[in-house]
Amino acid sequence: MNTNSNLYTVIYTTLVVVVVAAVLAFTATKLKPSQDANAKAETLRQMMSAAQIKPTDELYATRNAGILQLYADNIREAYTINLDGQKVGTLSTGRSDIGLVDNLKPQNKAIKDGGDATLPVYIFKNGVIVIPVYGAGLWGPVWGYIAFQPDGKTIAGAYFDHESETPGLGAKIKDEAWFREKFEGKQVAFGEEPAFNLSKNAEATGAANAVDAITGATMTSKGLNEALNIWFKAYGKHFQANVNAEEE
Amino acid sequence: MDKKLKETILNPILKGNPITVLILGICSSLAVTVQLKGALVMAISVTLVTGLSSLVCSLLRNGIPMRVRIIVQLVVVAMMVILVDQILKAGEGTYAIDKQLSVYIGLIITNCIVMGRIEAFALGNKPIPSLLDGLANGVGYGLILIIVAFFRELLGSGTLFGLRVLPAGYIPNNLVILPPFALILLGCIIWAHRAFDKDLQEK
Repeated sequence: MNTNSNLYTVIYTTLVVVVVAAVLAFTATKLKPSQDANAKAETLRQMMSAAQIKPTDELYATRNAGILQLYADNIREAYTINLDGQKVGTLSTGRSDIGLVDNLKPQNKAIKDGGDATLPVYIFKNGVIVIPVYGAGLWGPVWGYIAFQPDGKTIAGAYFDHESETPGLGAKIKDEAWFREKFEGKQVAFGEEPAFNLSKNAEATGAANAVDAITGATMTSKGLNEALNIWFKAYGKHFQANVNAEEE
Repeated sequence: MDKKLKETILNPILKGNPITVLILGICSSLAVTVQLKGALVMAISVTLVTGLSSLVCSLLRNGIPMRVRIIVQLVVVAMMVILVDQILKAGEGTYAIDKQLSVYIGLIITNCIVMGRIEAFALGNKPIPSLLDGLANGVGYGLILIIVAFFRELLGSGTLFGLRVLPAGYIPNNLVILPPFALILLGCIIWAHRAFDKDLQEK
């Protein structure tokens, strides 16, 4: 058979592509549930690390099922708000159908465009309130979870993650415990501009909302600072109106 | 085992090592060698991809239209890479490592070793030797990756497989963490390899 004829080439390549597409579609469908479960458990680990439910190492040593249980045991309520700070929905907290807003990219866009954002608020039984932040680092997205004390402005803990920041430099936002520990006890100035200040020599100002940027990771720090401020601003109305009022 | 088959397996690991002799796959060996764990997963992934892609292409070798053979090979390799990535993402234990390796798993498709072995070997040989040749090249690549990662994790973080080895007072060397150091280290390995194996020295 002439394997170089046009007809043969077209039929052959079509067949190869169809077979490959079928194999990939099949595996993708089969593996989707476990991939989603992994992603969900990862988000819960980061949130609970920020909320100081358990030490980060311990959370990462716990399997997915244990993480879901731990979250269900510790969460008090979870709901979503819009940019005006009004509650617009509730998120399920049951162990079998934990509700999360874990796709932060569209929310980040909605915040920037002043559109229809759905922002999650997670309140744990220890009174800690956890919110996400999301923005652009040097090479890809950076995001994190910030946990507040019941007073709604003092940071109880934080956890940051990134997609592809430089190992040893920008990746320190995730790898180095000292970086996230720096945020503990800081106070976010909701309603002010800027609400938070992550920059070079910021701590020298003595301000309660200042953390030093990471040396050698200027762009990552800058991106994270922007992420923090954009999201703190988006949550500002809610925190000023509800959380502080509840406590007083 | 006959001599030719033995040669197929041993050559890529020593005399024809894809990294130190053929100088292929340099990019990823600089990128994923900061930690041993990542390097090990990368080594296993590349080994599987080269092995299985060579096997499939060898099975198809008599039917592939020569004009579009590169495209067909590319489709096969891409499929293997996506499969590996999907499986890593689905495993509870491997999810975190896949996240850490991020784009580099997907970039296995651009690793010259994979296409190189298909073009140079699989298209002209039977399936079983092709599979072994692919696997052996993956092992040869992985071996160098692990050697580089060993030094980089030890000197750059003071740990091995995430466990602290050097005393807590050790100040990690930041240069070691950056890709240029991997290139320097790779140069040293190539030097040592050539000094050891006189056949590799150029006249």
